[in-house]
Amino acid sequence: MASCLVVFASLNQVALLKRSLYRMGVFVEMQRTPHCLSTTGCGFALRCERHELPLLQMKCKELSIEPGGTFEETRQADGPHYVSFNASELGR
Amino acid sequence: MIYLDNAATSWPKPPGVARAVSNALSHAVGNPGRTSHQRAMDAALLVQECRENLAQLFGVTNPLRICFTANTTDALNLAIKGAVSPGDHAICSSMEHNSVWRPLTALQKRGIEFSIAQADPLGVVDPASVERLIRPNTRLIVMIHASNVSGTIQPVVAIGRLARDRGIPMLLDAAQSAGSIPINVQTMNIDLLAFPGHKGLLGPQGTGGLYVSERVDLQPLKEGGTGSESNNPQQPACYPDRMESGTLNLPGIAGLNQSVRYVLRRGVEAIARRETRLTQRLLRGLANIKGVTVYGPALGVERAPVVSFNIHGIDPVHVAAALEKRADIACRPGWHCAGLAHRTIGTAETGTVRLSPGPFTRTAEIENALTAVADAAREVYKS
Repeated sequence: MASCLVVFASLNQVALLKRSLYRMGVFVEMQRTPHCLSTTGCGFALRCERHELPLLQMKCKELSIEPGGTFEETRQADGPHYVSFNASELGR
Repeated sequence: MIYLDNAATSWPKPPGVARAVSNALSHAVGNPGRTSHQRAMDAALLVQECRENLAQLFGVTNPLRICFTANTTDALNLAIKGAVSPGDHAICSSMEHNSVWRPLTALQKRGIEFSIAQADPLGVVDPASVERLIRPNTRLIVMIHASNVSGTIQPVVAIGRLARDRGIPMLLDAAQSAGSIPINVQTMNIDLLAFPGHKGLLGPQGTGGLYVSERVDLQPLKEGGTGSESNNPQQPACYPDRMESGTLNLPGIAGLNQSVRYVLRRGVEAIARRETRLTQRLLRGLANIKGVTVYGPALGVERAPVVSFNIHGIDPVHVAAALEKRADIACRPGWHCAGLAHRTIGTAETGTVRLSPGPFTRTAEIENALTAVADAAREVYKS
C-alpha cells in the first residue's frame, strides 16, 4: 500500500493534527521532513496511508493549517522517492 | 503550616504534578521541534496535549494560538510590546499590576502614550470611563481580571464588548483568575489572554501562557530558534512558533498539563464555589475583629480569593511575622507589586497584609487564621 507524506512548517502543527486524527481512530506517524522536500529547512511531516489522506486534508482545513506539500512515497533500491500530488488528486 | 499565599503561588499542587515533572526530567529526554527521535516526538505530543487542555479550559478553538511563556509577566510584556507601535495609544486601569504599569511606562520613551481608567476606592472600573479614554489611535485595552490586592473583579465582559465594537483588542491579565474564575475567550471578547501556570492552574513555577486571537497582529518580542523554517532569516509566521523562540520548559509544561487536567476534572465553577465560601468566611471573621480594616468589595460581593487587610497601627510586615510565629501562617505583607492599585484603594502609604486561600485550603485553617489575627490585634490594643 502506498504511503503518503504531508509536510508542514512546524512540529506544533504536526502534533495537533496527529492528536486530532488519533481521537478519530486514525494513526499517523510524525517524522522529520526529508531535506529533499524541505523548502525552508527543519520541517516536520505526517506519514499516512493513501486512503487516509482525505481525512488529513479535511483536518488541515478545519484547523486552518496549510500543508507545505503532499507526496507519495515509494521505496526503491536507492532509498525512498517522492512524487508530488496535485491538490485535485487528493481524496480520489 | 497554614498556607494562605495562593495569590503569590499555589500550594499544595494536585496529585501527580510533582511526578509529571519528575517523569519529564527522567524520561522525556527530547527537545520538541529540534530533533527527530521518538522521545522528542513524544515530548512534542505532551506539549500539544497541554495546549489542548488549556484551550478547553479557556474556550479557545485553535490550541495553536496558545503560546507558552515563563509566567504572566512574560506573557503581558509579549502582548503589550507586540501590539503597540510608536504613535499608538493604550488604555489600562488604575488596578493594574506592575507587569502592566511598568511596560506601558517604559513604552512612553518609544512614543507610545497610555491613559489610566480610574477605579473607585473598592477597585472597580466603570466601563464608561474606559470608553471615554478611547482615541482614534487607541490600539490596546489592558484590563486586570481580578485584583491581586483587593480581589476586585472587573466588569470585563462589558469592557470586552466595547473594545470589540471599536475594533480594539482587549488584553486580559488573568494572573489571579485563571483556574479560580471561569474564563471563555469567545463569550468574553478576549483577544489576548495572559495567564500563569503556577497560581490558579496549580502547576509549577516558570510556566504561563498567552492566547493570541486570529484578530490580533502581534509582533514577536524575541526572535530565534523555533525548530521550524531554519533557513528562513525571518521569524516564522505560524503560531505558536512565532511567539515561542528558544527551548520550552518541558518539565514545567508536563506538570502544568497534569494540573490543568485536575482543574478540568474538578471544574473551575466548583473551585470558585469553594474558594468563595472560604473567602467570605475570612471576610466575615475579619469584619468582627477590632482595629482591622478590610479593603476591596463588600461582604457578599463576588471577588477573587484574595483578602487584603490592615490592623490599625501595626506595620503589615509585623502582622505577617506575628501570624507566622503564632500559627505558622504563610501570607504576604507589602505592596504586592501593584503600586497603582494601592493608590486607588488608599493603602499607598502602608501596603496591606494579604491572605489568599486556594482550592486545598480547609475551613479549619481559615478559623485558625482568624484567631491568630484577632490575637495579634488584641495584643496591640492591650499594650
